[in-house]
Amino acid sequence: MSEKVLVAMSGGVDSSVSLLRIIEAGYDPVGVTMKLWSNESINSNNEQDNSCCGIEEINGAKLVCNQFGVPHYTIDFTKVFKEEVVNNFSSEYFAGRTPNPCIRCNSYVKWDAFIEQADKMNIKYIATGHYAIVEKKNNNYYLKKGIDPKKDQSYVLWGIPKETLKRTIFPIGDLTKEQVRKIAKENDLATATSPESMEICFVTDNNYKNFLSNYNPRKMSSIKEGDIIENEKKVGTHPGYINYTVGQRKGLNLSNPEPRYVSKIDSKNNTITVGKKHSIYKKECYVDQLNLLVNDLQLPIKINAKIRYNTFGGIATLSREKDKYKLSFDEPQLAITPGQSAVFYDNDTVLGGGIIELFK
Amino acid sequence: MNKIYFDHAATTPISNDVLNHMFQILEKNYGNPSSIHQLGQSSRALVENSRRQIAKAINCSSKEIFFTSGGTESNNITIKNLLQTGDHLITSSIEHPAILKPAEDLAQNGIEVSYVKPNKYGIIEPQKIEKEIKKNTKLISIMMVNNEMGTINPLEEISLIKNSVLLHTDAVQAFGKIPLDVSKMGIDLLSLSGHKFYGPKGVGILYKKNNISLKGLITGGGQEQEICAGTENVAGISSIGLAAENIVKDLKKNRSYLTELTNYLIKSLKNHDINFVINGKNRVPGLLNISFPEMLGQNLMMNLDLHGIAVSYGAACSSGTPKPPRVLLETGIESNLAKSSIRISLGKDNTKKEIDYFINSIVSILSKELKNV
Repeated sequence: MSEKVLVAMSGGVDSSVSLLRIIEAGYDPVGVTMKLWSNESINSNNEQDNSCCGIEEINGAKLVCNQFGVPHYTIDFTKVFKEEVVNNFSSEYFAGRTPNPCIRCNSYVKWDAFIEQADKMNIKYIATGHYAIVEKKNNNYYLKKGIDPKKDQSYVLWGIPKETLKRTIFPIGDLTKEQVRKIAKENDLATATSPESMEICFVTDNNYKNFLSNYNPRKMSSIKEGDIIENEKKVGTHPGYINYTVGQRKGLNLSNPEPRYVSKIDSKNNTITVGKKHSIYKKECYVDQLNLLVNDLQLPIKINAKIRYNTFGGIATLSREKDKYKLSFDEPQLAITPGQSAVFYDNDTVLGGGIIELFK
Repeated sequence: MNKIYFDHAATTPISNDVLNHMFQILEKNYGNPSSIHQLGQSSRALVENSRRQIAKAINCSSKEIFFTSGGTESNNITIKNLLQTGDHLITSSIEHPAILKPAEDLAQNGIEVSYVKPNKYGIIEPQKIEKEIKKNTKLISIMMVNNEMGTINPLEEISLIKNSVLLHTDAVQAFGKIPLDVSKMGIDLLSLSGHKFYGPKGVGILYKKNNISLKGLITGGGQEQEICAGTENVAGISSIGLAAENIVKDLKKNRSYLTELTNYLIKSLKNHDINFVINGKNRVPGLLNISFPEMLGQNLMMNLDLHGIAVSYGAACSSGTPKPPRVLLETGIESNLAKSSIRISLGKDNTKKEIDYFINSIVSILSKELKNV
């Protein structure tokens, strides 16, 4: 009997082609859609039967599974998602930071919950449609970049538990997005033309302020206008720090011939600090909540550090300073943003990552 | 695909003779029953003949039978169109959503709704209903058999204490499993659904006592005395007449066979030293809600499915995201026990061999420890 694989089916083209490749590789797949969020969760613990969020996506996943005679189940992960991802998303923004909920979802919901589900079904492997690669070398398993540089998702996977790598399959990590779309079309998959999801799944229209107003109206209404500071002097007034992220230029309403950028957000004192472009180039930051995906990383170490999705990153030294981890870049980096992730690479291999904290 | 089907409470396979009958009608009797020509006449005859078959099956007059799109529509017509602002409805907390949702809608329109809770065995007690009856109580709606546990409610006793209040019952899970006689049981309105007794989906029945005036939800050409306007689903209607006739004819035989299978299943579980609890008492044969405390019902259901056995867990919504069975919680059982339950509903075509396979699968699933990779 062939080995069973639990395949995460989002109803998109990537997971659909992943399923196809799992079948082609001779595995015996079981499709699962993780229900993470329903908009009704905002206001209450409304447990209505009809709270099927993303019904179109779920049905897309079901259609693709059905096409190949693969069983499909939808499993409710809304509780853990709300606790681990959405609450954090909200509190991070209110703390003046810029969270990346997709990373937290992978780190705390998808892998943990999915592996646990596989255990319960006595299934050895899990597979997802991420553009990344797991490589086995000398009995060790390494997380590597997907071969499509435009789609590589290794950055959002730094937080997954290391021990789950040996049970993880990324069936499309060696493909480009174009190839994936082509395969989907050639095989007439029901999801072949499904649109790319670029937004945070629980935030409608990418409007995070609107979301926060609904999710935590009390906190949102307590956010008042405050001072914009440059060189320790008040230079203007902002309508609420929640509107800004480090590196932002728009929405400052300052009349300077040379543009100003947000360099710091202080939620406690309700101020934002701005400066000319050079002021948001920094060489150092702390990294918190470290997760390592390789054994025996000797610090300090020179690595390539990526500080946001879709940037190249820079050479940096990762070192330990008392109880903290520190990144010191060779060249100053644009807008190192608290709350975002710093991911450490050795060429294409992910060594680990953590959450960016600024110096005090 | 599933080799073994143990989910007859969700829906039944269509029986062969009903299927053949349906094919014949779809092919040949395409006339509109309202048309005056002979093709129309033959379709009208099929519809009216079915009405008589149904009336006979539940012991009422044929003019008291109305065809609808299913149990949900029959329930909605009753709940929504019988009551007016100021009226009071008594129902139970373990009804199907097809009653609970329209009742919720009513509550927003100034109609009072009281929900009677079941006892710990999952049964609605007539005394509890009696206590709720007030001057403005217009309708009592209590399901005859609960869909999650298979427990049978004492409808006849309820009819004795209701006085002039109208009594409706959602009998979708009861028909074909227990004797059903609306006259004897004192029932004023009743809902049935064709696909629960080996008939097709999309056809239901509303029985309404002759002296009750009621309008439907859909108006139009006036079919079914305005209870369900629109050209009749001739093949479906005719087929559930046949299905109803068959199921009543075989009632005794099926009941004793399903009792035998049920006892065999329980005995086999005991013989294998499996830890289990049966939820609910006074149940219809064949419908078993069982908690296996070692495992979450959802996981057991999925694992059984991967073994080729179809059972159910909780109330699934259309996306297939199951929720813990609310009905069990209403009986006051522990939340963990409710979450570890599955519903097994046997049908007339199941066999002891299938139960053996099911038991072996349960044993293998429950005993499998995670082999750490």
